[in-house]
Amino acid sequence: MRLIAALAVTLALLAGLAAWLVRPDAPRSNALSLAAALAADTSGFARATAPRPFRFPDDHGPHPDFRTEWWYYTGNLDGPAGQAFGYELTIFRIALTPPGSPDADTADADTAGADTANWRTRQMYMAHFGLTDAKRGTFRAFERFSRGAAGLAGAQGAPFRVWLEGWEASEAAGGMPAMRLRANEGGYGIDLTLRPEKPVVLQGDRGLSQKGPGVGNASYYYSYTRIVTEGTVTTPSGRVPVRGSSWMDREWSTSALGRDQVGWDWFALQLSDGRELMVYQLREKDGRPSRYSSGTLVERDGRTRPLPGFTLTPTATWTSPHSGAEYPSAWTLDVPSENLQLRVEPVLNDQELNVSVRYWEGAVRVAGARGLTGRGYVELTGYGDIETETRGTRSAR
Amino acid sequence: MLLRTSLRYLLRHPWLLVLSLVGVALGVAVVVAIDVANASATRAFTRSAEVVAGRATHAVVGAGGTVEGSLYQRLRFAGVRESAPVAEGYATARGRVLNVLGLDPLADAPFRSLAGEGAGVDLGLFLATPGAAFLAPSAAARLALAPGDTLGLAVEGTRRTVRIGALLAPGEAGQDDALANLVVLDVAEAQAVLGLGSRLTRIDLALPEGEAGARRRAEIERLLPPGARIERSATRTESLETMTRAFRLNLTALSFLALVVGMFLVYNTTTFAVVQRRFLLGRLRALGVTRREVFGLVLGEAALVGAVGTAFGLALGVILGRGLVALVAGTISDLYFSVTVASVAITPWMLFKGAALGLGTTLAAAFAPAREAAGADVSAVLRRSETEARAGRRLPVLALAGVALLAAGAGVLAWPRLPLALAYGALLVVMLGFSLVVPAAVAGFARAVRPVASRAFGPLGRMAAGGLQAHLGRISVAVAALVVAIAATIGVGVMVASFRSTVVAWLEGALVADVFVQPPSLVARRGEASLRPDVVEALLRAPGVTSGYSIRALTTTSQFGRTDLIAASGGAAQERTFKIKEGRAADVWPRLRAGEAVFVSEPFAYRHGVGIGDTVRLGTERGVRPFPIAAVYYDYGSDMGLVLMHRSAFERLYSDRGTSGLALFAAPGVDPDALAERLRARVADRQAVIVRSNRGLREFSLGIFDRTFAITGVLRLLALLVAFVGVVSAFMALQLERAREYATLRAMGLTPREVYGLVSIQTGLMGLVAGLLSLPLGLALAAVLIFVINRRSFGWTLQATVPPETLVTAVVLAVVAALLAGLYPAWKMAHARPAEALRDE
Repeated sequence: MRLIAALAVTLALLAGLAAWLVRPDAPRSNALSLAAALAADTSGFARATAPRPFRFPDDHGPHPDFRTEWWYYTGNLDGPAGQAFGYELTIFRIALTPPGSPDADTADADTAGADTANWRTRQMYMAHFGLTDAKRGTFRAFERFSRGAAGLAGAQGAPFRVWLEGWEASEAAGGMPAMRLRANEGGYGIDLTLRPEKPVVLQGDRGLSQKGPGVGNASYYYSYTRIVTEGTVTTPSGRVPVRGSSWMDREWSTSALGRDQVGWDWFALQLSDGRELMVYQLREKDGRPSRYSSGTLVERDGRTRPLPGFTLTPTATWTSPHSGAEYPSAWTLDVPSENLQLRVEPVLNDQELNVSVRYWEGAVRVAGARGLTGRGYVELTGYGDIETETRGTRSAR
Repeated sequence: MLLRTSLRYLLRHPWLLVLSLVGVALGVAVVVAIDVANASATRAFTRSAEVVAGRATHAVVGAGGTVEGSLYQRLRFAGVRESAPVAEGYATARGRVLNVLGLDPLADAPFRSLAGEGAGVDLGLFLATPGAAFLAPSAAARLALAPGDTLGLAVEGTRRTVRIGALLAPGEAGQDDALANLVVLDVAEAQAVLGLGSRLTRIDLALPEGEAGARRRAEIERLLPPGARIERSATRTESLETMTRAFRLNLTALSFLALVVGMFLVYNTTTFAVVQRRFLLGRLRALGVTRREVFGLVLGEAALVGAVGTAFGLALGVILGRGLVALVAGTISDLYFSVTVASVAITPWMLFKGAALGLGTTLAAAFAPAREAAGADVSAVLRRSETEARAGRRLPVLALAGVALLAAGAGVLAWPRLPLALAYGALLVVMLGFSLVVPAAVAGFARAVRPVASRAFGPLGRMAAGGLQAHLGRISVAVAALVVAIAATIGVGVMVASFRSTVVAWLEGALVADVFVQPPSLVARRGEASLRPDVVEALLRAPGVTSGYSIRALTTTSQFGRTDLIAASGGAAQERTFKIKEGRAADVWPRLRAGEAVFVSEPFAYRHGVGIGDTVRLGTERGVRPFPIAAVYYDYGSDMGLVLMHRSAFERLYSDRGTSGLALFAAPGVDPDALAERLRARVADRQAVIVRSNRGLREFSLGIFDRTFAITGVLRLLALLVAFVGVVSAFMALQLERAREYATLRAMGLTPREVYGLVSIQTGLMGLVAGLLSLPLGLALAAVLIFVINRRSFGWTLQATVPPETLVTAVVLAVVAALLAGLYPAWKMAHARPAEALRDE
């Protein structure tokens, strides 16, 4: 599901990236041209039009003929003295021009930017790293960009590795799907080993996730929904051994966001009964949920089932002191088909990422009936000025 | 009332007024023009260096001019995020030299607004479109290019075509001018265009100030491989300024020479104006006008002339400056680094300086005559012969003072390691001293020439020579002014001729091979461009070539800062081309070959005050290595100085394997010119190399030499022009002053034809004495320029050569100008009715 959400995030981020790039003094109208151009033209890129067989480990690697792709890791971690951390590490790949264009002498560094002798590429990488310390009540987020060449950033399937400078996800000892995540900046860092407990979940129709009307307005999308995680978390007050559970989303596509969608609320919840729940709700201009909103329930044994319907009700709001944007800060999630009624609350209200484009992505706690608990991650976009930015992107003067 | 008197006087003598104005205007114009040209060139290269450096505070640079591209990855992975890769160089396109700047748009935003979205260019177009290039609107206009057009960039004889992707919209509008020579590319594209492979020319850094910056710098330094180092970004601009400082200072000094000559002219005309109005001034004094008022009157007139002349001079200087900019920039490009001047820098400060100099020198020059006019007794002023009588009495005193000044100037000049500005100051003192000796010399000449003139021209000749003696005071002032002006042109002429003959002799010894091959290089006297290895191979194996040797030029660092290093492959043939100045060839060559020592060129030794036994600590890719200096050799190619190293040692310390130049020996009987032609054709499809025969290279080298002295030649011509105007104005004034005398002679029966004869003989004699006296001063100036100024500026030993034609020209110029100057007064006096002329007073 994350497709639409993440794609929209990407576009919004690109607009933000553009804005960031022109800092400090260039006019903002220039800034939006990239995102506008990207949103406008999809010709020459591969499209997600029909279900396809997934082949691993190759599909962990990049799909350079599609315009956008990401590796999305989130998780909740516990330290020995009762510390509770949340982390997000996301690496985006963005193809700036279609494959095979325009001169053939581009050494196509599509599959890997590992070759330090080659600076040429049409791939750009962007990454976000966020760390929540629930006990101290702090949240920090960082952002990076790089060309996908000269060894600076890249992705490869075998052995699996995706990296942007020092931030990387790679195949761990023992081989895939065990992975190692590393990121460090400004005194904050993670070094985690991830071992998925359940097989890959193919989202949507056998991994083809439709996000809007029309053939090709879809992505290929798979997830690891429950991953045993251990390693260390570093903050300025020291390094802490941690254990916990992560979630990984993988998605690639060449689609533009639907015109009527202003943002989304996305939930990835791991329940104490061994099940996982993923739901997203796209919000339309008029404030109503889009009909492309959807959800998936993953059983203890890994079997999945789409949710025929759900109701998401915000029960509290929080206003960011950084941006002034007002976000929902507590929800009830009602899934009648599963007889589930969950209360979802952030571990910390202030998990807003003030990166090139502002969004909220944070660790949450879940409580349900009969002692059911859970943890997870929520992503909120299109609140505050995001709306104007994403809309502005496409109606750029 | 006094002011009206002045105005009426000036307007009644328009020729005097005009010539004074021309003198002041030319002097000011030359100073302003050189200032404009220097400032424009300096601004052009500092601005373009600043634009290219952007907000970078420091840069990681390599020992051999580039760093391995993977070093950037190492820094980024280690968290050095305040960094950006840069691949920079020069290319020629459409007959212009362009600065090629390769940037990574995703890392460059903190440094510049020139790449990608930061410059309003789509990221995909900038980063991911092979062959895409970007220009500022100013550059597009200069090159007549629009987006979509192609542009062939030639670098070291290899051509690569790029397509203009879009025009840059860099934030700060003021940068636009400095961007007129800039082609911005993605870093990968720039590497391809510049033939850098995966290497970078530098990695820009943005370090905080103070303690934190020093700590951060130390942290980053620990990540660097040997040879790579961190340099302040400003160092680049500073080194450009340092490289050209002596050159620019010399131009400024030469321009002051013109002003000094102009000052003498003003002195001359002011004196004349005072002398001619002695009766008027005397009457004014008799009518109760105070000394102070007379002083003010004369000075006021000078100020008026100075102001108007300066205004003309400023305007003329700006126009002239526009013309000279190209010459100055061309010379800098030949000698030091490529610079293209897009616009002329004219600041209020420049004009103010020019105005202050013009007015100041005019007033200073008028001070003595004004005092004289104010200081004289009423009766004395009324007496005509007073000035002359006083001049006669003062001759020995003046001469003694002159000799004292000469001695003082010479003493200062003899001081070793004299600062350049002081050397020029001493030069001025010498000129002043000599001009004080001139009256005594003129008196001697007049006495000596009288019998000769009498024999040659009869009574007219005797009268003419007698006139010289009778008007000694007035004449010697004019002659002194002309001597200085003409001597200046002799000095500069002899210096350039000596320099040229020294270079000719040096080339004779240095060019022993038959054919020389170089890649096209943008800076004629520096050779960092590379021949492709396969081209070198093909040339060495070409039929008709028996053997050859190569040379590599590279810029590195030493304890003296930026240092040009030459690696020679050696062999007896090559060793013969170096002329050792200090050191025994038989001893020092084996040490060089063994790689245990280096040689330095004469300018290097002079510039840094080092010699045999001293150590040069060279920055290499294996760290800093000390090398003892085994010998000093003659070199006239680089005023920055060179360090010579053997190729084997060079290859141990640097990864660079390029060849900057190749010298080849032809088989017996093979014509070098024909061989050069064949060799060029042989490699033409691989690299557009420049192949020259021995003769061709010699001509080329001298061509560069002549180009670099073109601006000196222009200045010399201007000084000659000022001198010419000086001769004409001074002598015309003298003759007109004596209208009454001639009227008397006419009344006594002298025919108009005889008046012509008398005036011509007299001015001719004055011209001759000025021309002759300018010879010793001119030669002295030449000696100072050659042995003091050039050495202080560049460290070169020049063999003095005195071309007779320079001396003959000077004397002929003086005589011809003098004869011309006599024509109008002679015409006027020949045709004036004697009675009127006599009544005139």
